[in-house]
Amino acid sequence: MTDKKPDPRRPDENFEPFEETRRIPWPVYSIAIALAIWGVIMLVQTSTAVQVADKTQEEVAKEDSTKLAQAAAPDLDAGKTLFADNCATCHGDAGEGVAGAFPPLHGSDVVKLGGAKAVTHIGMRGIGGKLNVNGDGYEGQMPAFGSVLSDTEISEIASYVATGLNDDAKTISAPEVADIRKVAGDKDPFDGGAGLAGLINDLPAQPNSEAADQGADSERVAQLVGQGTDTVWACASCHGDKGEGIETVPRLAGLPAPYLAKQLHDFQRGTRFNDSMAYVAKGLSDREIGELANYYASMSSPSGAKPALQGDLKRGAQLAKQGDWSIGVPACFTCHGPSGVGVAPNFPGIAAQQPSYVAHQLAMWAGGARHNSPLGLMAGIGKALNDSDRRAVADYLASLAPMPAMDKTELAAMESNIPVREGVDQ
Amino acid sequence: MQITETLGLLLALSFVISLLALTILIWAIANKQVHTPDADDARTIFEPGEGADIDYPDKPHHFDTARSGIDANSSSVVMWLIAAAVFWLIYGSLHGLAASLELHLPDLMSGTAQMTFGRMRTVHLNSVAYGWASQGGLAAVCWIIPRIFRTNLRMTGLLKLGIVLWNIGLAAGVLAIANGWTDGLEWLEIPWQIDIILAAGAACFVAPLIATAKNRNVHHIYVSGWYFLAGVLWFPVLFIVANIPGVHHGVEQATMNWWYAHNVLGLWLTPLGVGTAYYFIPKIIGKPVYSYALSLVGFWALALFYSQVGIHHLIGGPVPTWLVTLSVVHSVMMFVPVIAVAINQHVTVASNLWALKESMPLRFISFGAVMYTLASFQGSIEALRSVNTITHFTHYTVAHAHLGAYAFVSLVLMGAIYQIVPRATGKYWPFPRMIAWHFWLNVIGFAVYFFSLTIGGILQGLAQLDATKPFADSVILLKPYLEGRSLGGGLMTLGHVLLAINLIAIGFAKKTRETETENMVAAE
Repeated sequence: MTDKKPDPRRPDENFEPFEETRRIPWPVYSIAIALAIWGVIMLVQTSTAVQVADKTQEEVAKEDSTKLAQAAAPDLDAGKTLFADNCATCHGDAGEGVAGAFPPLHGSDVVKLGGAKAVTHIGMRGIGGKLNVNGDGYEGQMPAFGSVLSDTEISEIASYVATGLNDDAKTISAPEVADIRKVAGDKDPFDGGAGLAGLINDLPAQPNSEAADQGADSERVAQLVGQGTDTVWACASCHGDKGEGIETVPRLAGLPAPYLAKQLHDFQRGTRFNDSMAYVAKGLSDREIGELANYYASMSSPSGAKPALQGDLKRGAQLAKQGDWSIGVPACFTCHGPSGVGVAPNFPGIAAQQPSYVAHQLAMWAGGARHNSPLGLMAGIGKALNDSDRRAVADYLASLAPMPAMDKTELAAMESNIPVREGVDQ
Repeated sequence: MQITETLGLLLALSFVISLLALTILIWAIANKQVHTPDADDARTIFEPGEGADIDYPDKPHHFDTARSGIDANSSSVVMWLIAAAVFWLIYGSLHGLAASLELHLPDLMSGTAQMTFGRMRTVHLNSVAYGWASQGGLAAVCWIIPRIFRTNLRMTGLLKLGIVLWNIGLAAGVLAIANGWTDGLEWLEIPWQIDIILAAGAACFVAPLIATAKNRNVHHIYVSGWYFLAGVLWFPVLFIVANIPGVHHGVEQATMNWWYAHNVLGLWLTPLGVGTAYYFIPKIIGKPVYSYALSLVGFWALALFYSQVGIHHLIGGPVPTWLVTLSVVHSVMMFVPVIAVAINQHVTVASNLWALKESMPLRFISFGAVMYTLASFQGSIEALRSVNTITHFTHYTVAHAHLGAYAFVSLVLMGAIYQIVPRATGKYWPFPRMIAWHFWLNVIGFAVYFFSLTIGGILQGLAQLDATKPFADSVILLKPYLEGRSLGGGLMTLGHVLLAINLIAIGFAKKTRETETENMVAAE
């Protein structure tokens, strides 16, 4: 069909293909040999890696069983270490307490009267309410450690507090702690000194209980949280029944009401970015935001978080307690309160927060996708932390006890501070 | 634990045995233990009186397929397959183009469930994989097998029944997918109930091709024959094992899924494409391939190493580490057969570049053969954990898939169609200029497509790995690259339309040459 002349080298139509007898070129040999050696090395490396992992698992199981065998007699040295890690940030290294803020555990009438058993109960459930210790009044804000410490660990701490700090002779064993957990493990924190009076006989006079006043709007809030409306998804569908959160969805229980309200307003305005939350927040009135903030602030629930990001817990503890001034990062606890329980109204609790959420938020601060902190405090910190630091601190915070629920009277006092968006139906 | 260890040992053994087999093969070739073909072997061995007059005693590698009646016998089956294949090519391309548009114009067709991305993309994949590439490849198989075996295609009636069943099954499958009825596994979306029809159709292909091979009139099987026969036997096994319902569950199902999905490429479409290129490249140029020994290494290394390749898609997934490592190692071992095939095919073309100007089919086929080399090299490297971390779950993988299934398999098959149809019908292509247009539309369109998605995919992967960026950033940055993909896809689809026009026109054209076979090359 084309006009040009056919190439003279063109074969005739009846030529059929065949293969010539030639040797395999040497590069093919060398490549094949090199790849085969590489392949064997890869497989051997993987198989040893798997063996190491298996061995560690076995060792871990062994260690656990020896620990269990020793559990009957609590290890007071371990108790001292655990006390330093979990209690000393508030109660002081020697349990001396902080006048007006945190009650003493050394020479404490509550401990002396109740013994290791009472310490176990309080450690397991926490305290949320006013109480008197040695005649001084305190705002009880004791976190519940039941969800973050094992029976053995609680028995070691409680025994150390009773015998090491208060000259009591009686320790408590892990099985006894397990029995208490069965009865008290999922109960709310003690309602201040009045609540403790039921636990400990002959306790000196305690302030009156301020029983939670379920507001008139509780039904509407329950509707929002549990079922949602046409424009608002049920809060609990992501954040959980107990506001405990999961993965990158944060724990809300016990966060300061003004903080929660500010975040919802920021989602509304678009100053904090998240597609799901922007949609939900736009469907809420200012009044509903206030009510929801109070609802979650007064909620107390056990920790649903566990270290999950293979973070270096030692490094995380260092960042949380001391900070790292070589990279310009202050201790988390400086602002977020002792043990990360939060400082109302602006600093949310970060203890027992979901590790994926914390690491993600730190990364968002670093990248600038989240930029709604007062004075841009978190942006600088986020940028200073690298990926492994973010995972380390997130995992460490997840290992801490959850913050106690906020006191109802405190809430009422703060209500006036909740930022209100102008021009929205009240 | 015990079971996984045993399985791990067995699979590791499979690597060692494959390695050993390859070593023995290479040793045997090097020491001339394997009987290499000579002129006598390649020559036709005819029964007394049968076709003796068309043999060429002076030219041992010559055979007149037209006068011996072999082509005439297979041409109707081949033309049925080509017509069906090109129909699915157009149908699948339009769906692919629509799916691509939907990625950057998300509201374009969102009103109808049948036209949403999830279904359009799936229909595209099934149409082009099982409709176009499988049937186009079978057309080449049915054309080439009788020629290299110097015997008529057997049971052509059964083959035609197979074609009818396969297309009915596929049409039903595509309809089911469009209406939301699928098995929910990638490459295995067609409901298993409909797969029974497809399996029956596949069986109708296997028997005639085996019968033809059994009745061959040559002693030595040319390399294309190995690939074709192996592919025709491998595919039904893969298809049936993967589609039996209720056998695989959970993580095991995911493992089976990628075992199947990758082997459809490596043990079905690849043998079709490589076998076709192995036949037509020397056929059109008129020179033999470089080395029989390399043919052996290329084929057997593929057969030994490919079957474990697919699991590298589960890197980071909840499957045993050794299983993934084994797959990575096997993927990288694919360098060996690919280099062997590359030397055999590219040396022949590179030393006869004049033929690329002369023959449009050769241009398609040798372009496709080069893309096989590149796609395979890229695939081996993508299987490495360090690369996979960035590129997997991005559009980079999509670009790679099209480098293999489109630039390699599809272009080889298009070249084969341009070569076969005039000889099967005895007519010239009515619009020969369109063939060149088709070639350049496909090459340019594919280049735009491939580079857009490759660059976009890497950027997407890096953005996804950057914890300080919201996920949405990795989506938004892709927009220009996705638009590039639609542009490239549009050009490629246009090229396919030109092929369809030429094919329809040749159907209406008058016969221009009855048995005349001289100067055929000029017609393309």
